[in-house]
Amino acid sequence: MNTGQYISGAGHLGLIGWVLLGGVFAAEPEPAQVTEVSVISSAEFDAMVAAATSPDQVTEIAQPAAPEVAPDTPNLASQADSVIQQPAPLQSETPPADMPPEVTELALPPEAEVDDTAPVLEEPAGDIAVLVPEIAPQAVAWPVERVAPEPVAQPAPDVTPDVAQQDAVTPDATDTPVEQESQEATAPEEATTEIVTEAAIAPARSARPPGRRPAAQPVTQAAAAPVQTAPAQTDDVDAAAIAAAVAAAQVTAPAAVVPSGPPLSAGEKESLRVAVSSCWNVGSLSSEALQTTVTVSVAMNTDGTPIVGSISLDGSSGGSTAAARQAFEAARRAIIRCGASGFKLPSDKYGQWQNIEMTFNPERMRVK
Amino acid sequence: MTAFGLKDAFVMKFRFFALCLTLFCASFGVAHAQQGPLRIEITEGVIEPLPFAVPSFQPESAEAGQMAANLAQVVAQDLIGTGLFREIPASAFISTVSDFNAPVQYADWKAINAQALVTGAVNVQGNSLSVKFRLYDVFSGAELGSGLQFTGTADGWRRMAHKVADAVYARITGEGPYFDSRVVYVSETGPKDARAKRLAIMDYDGANVQYLTDSSVIVLAPRFSPSGDRVLYTSYESGFPRIYVLDIGSVQRRVLESADGTMSFAPRFSPSGQTVVFSLTQGGNTDIYTMDIASGASTRLTNTPAIETAPSYSPDGGRIVFESDRSGTQQLYVMSASGGEAQRISFGEGRYGTPVWSPRGDLVAFTKQNKGRFHIGVMRLDGSEERLLTASFLDEGPTWAPNGRVIMFARETQGEGGSSTLYSVDISGRNLRPVQTPQGGSDPSWSPLQK
Repeated sequence: MNTGQYISGAGHLGLIGWVLLGGVFAAEPEPAQVTEVSVISSAEFDAMVAAATSPDQVTEIAQPAAPEVAPDTPNLASQADSVIQQPAPLQSETPPADMPPEVTELALPPEAEVDDTAPVLEEPAGDIAVLVPEIAPQAVAWPVERVAPEPVAQPAPDVTPDVAQQDAVTPDATDTPVEQESQEATAPEEATTEIVTEAAIAPARSARPPGRRPAAQPVTQAAAAPVQTAPAQTDDVDAAAIAAAVAAAQVTAPAAVVPSGPPLSAGEKESLRVAVSSCWNVGSLSSEALQTTVTVSVAMNTDGTPIVGSISLDGSSGGSTAAARQAFEAARRAIIRCGASGFKLPSDKYGQWQNIEMTFNPERMRVK
Repeated sequence: MTAFGLKDAFVMKFRFFALCLTLFCASFGVAHAQQGPLRIEITEGVIEPLPFAVPSFQPESAEAGQMAANLAQVVAQDLIGTGLFREIPASAFISTVSDFNAPVQYADWKAINAQALVTGAVNVQGNSLSVKFRLYDVFSGAELGSGLQFTGTADGWRRMAHKVADAVYARITGEGPYFDSRVVYVSETGPKDARAKRLAIMDYDGANVQYLTDSSVIVLAPRFSPSGDRVLYTSYESGFPRIYVLDIGSVQRRVLESADGTMSFAPRFSPSGQTVVFSLTQGGNTDIYTMDIASGASTRLTNTPAIETAPSYSPDGGRIVFESDRSGTQQLYVMSASGGEAQRISFGEGRYGTPVWSPRGDLVAFTKQNKGRFHIGVMRLDGSEERLLTASFLDEGPTWAPNGRVIMFARETQGEGGSSTLYSVDISGRNLRPVQTPQGGSDPSWSPLQK
């Protein structure tokens, strides 16, 4: 330990010594430049300064005589200037004073009701594995031949395009008691919800938001009126009126030939609407036919298929007769094609959908 | 007390009447629901190509065999080319058509989802050719329209096929026909810095290309006359751009009058075919003029220090759409055909140029430059419903098909080896596809429908 201290001390001393005395061993300083200075007396200095003073300015130089200029006075008949008639300045109306901006006192926002009681948190039953949400890569609009209300992903290549999705059924080779009919797998064709133009695929532009889905139309349920017995304290006129009303109601209700049942529910109507929509192809319609709304009536068979001969054009609006005819033909094709295997309609309500009146309104389809 | 009693009685009475009313309504409501039809409104459909089948036409003479197959093929190509139809291949057919007059087995065509069926028969006698066809709406089980026959020359068989396709297209879609039309354009060969340009004319689908000028001088911007027999174009023949009128039948041309020291370009016929509207640069200022072709008398329509160019008439000849930079950037304006106050119609971002009025009169097609890209777009005459149909390095020079449903334009690719190609696109923005031309092409101008 002492050795270390000695070595350290010696080292430090050496370093300090070198810092203090190192200059001794430095090389000789460069020879300083020497300038010779001559000493002069004050008289000599005064003489030098006197010599440097500027010479006196001489101002006595003969000035050239100004040339005599004979003033050429024009021969003008002296005449008083005519007074220029100036129109009186238009008096502009003083603009109305600026109205001081109305300062409305902003009502304070209603105070939020703060509840002091802490919410009761339910203890988790145990460890719950948190699944990392699968984040799909951002959807890129892609031009597809088909545009439909609902986008459809590209179906498998070996699937036959059809309106309905259906899995392939292959009859089992093994001895199955039930006869299975073999059928091909079908799936709807790939579709987008709007026309994708080249300009829309542009990286700098975002795709248009999809059109707003129409709200399901509320079904007006014909509420059965509660039949009440007439209160005892009524007079005879009222009782007679009620009796007449009840009788009328019973008479006007026709005897149901077909099972009519209650009106179709909103869901049943919606499914019919979607079924027809999926076959209503407006892609090959003229621009004018795309502005024509047509109302088509159709009579139905009990199995949900349309009676082809009964499909007729009831009315149209927005286009010429020719355009209405194209629009009607497209509508007729939709009803026949998608109704070929029967619409899914409740058979116990046949009376409700025996006759259907469909309005085909292409307004949403025009600029997709 | 008495007052209360009276009021009470009144309330009771009111209730009874209300009850009666409810009962009546209920009874009518039920009756209505049972007797009236079910009403639904369909607002959403699909947009997809309509599947159709064109079995090979029936040859009615020995010479007609090949012609029958060719005709059916061109009819199918025309229909597919619109993007509105999809052909069902012959391999999928269940039954074939062996007799033009035999009834059609609708069930067989329904089974393969053929919604339209075109059958035809061809007769060739020497150089005379006659084509008959029938169109069936398969799902309604009826003929659409009635059978039709065209007669012409065997040399012009492609035109006959276009005529058949036109009739089919018009009957199914309700849109006007356009297949039997031609396009005049500038055929381009060679690299960008030494490009040879010559006027060429072709069928709308790129077939039957014929050249109208040689490539010794630069030619620009050919425009069809409304009758389809003459073409206006700009040529540098004299070393200076001047407007020429070329008769397509005789390939004779004459130069339009112009004063010295002026430069005239961007000519277009008026719907009457007697007047030409063009822009003329004089003393560094460009304005729009019209000129009577016969007399050579010209009239000035605009008079501003800004650059006014690319005028195009409305189909009725009453108004002119043009581009001007009077607002600071190039925008589209509409004015009366006799000049006067112009109304600005384009208000979007970027620069708008080369407007062309649709033959239907409802839309204007234009070139738009925005954020370093070029677009072909359409908008209504009040500037609303602007829709960009394309986007690329350089798209320009839109021209309308005779039915106002399709637009053709030129697309130039980037770089030294870039070339110019003609493209067509539906006004919905669908079905963008190149037009097959032997060489590069630019500045297309669509003719009216041929007679």
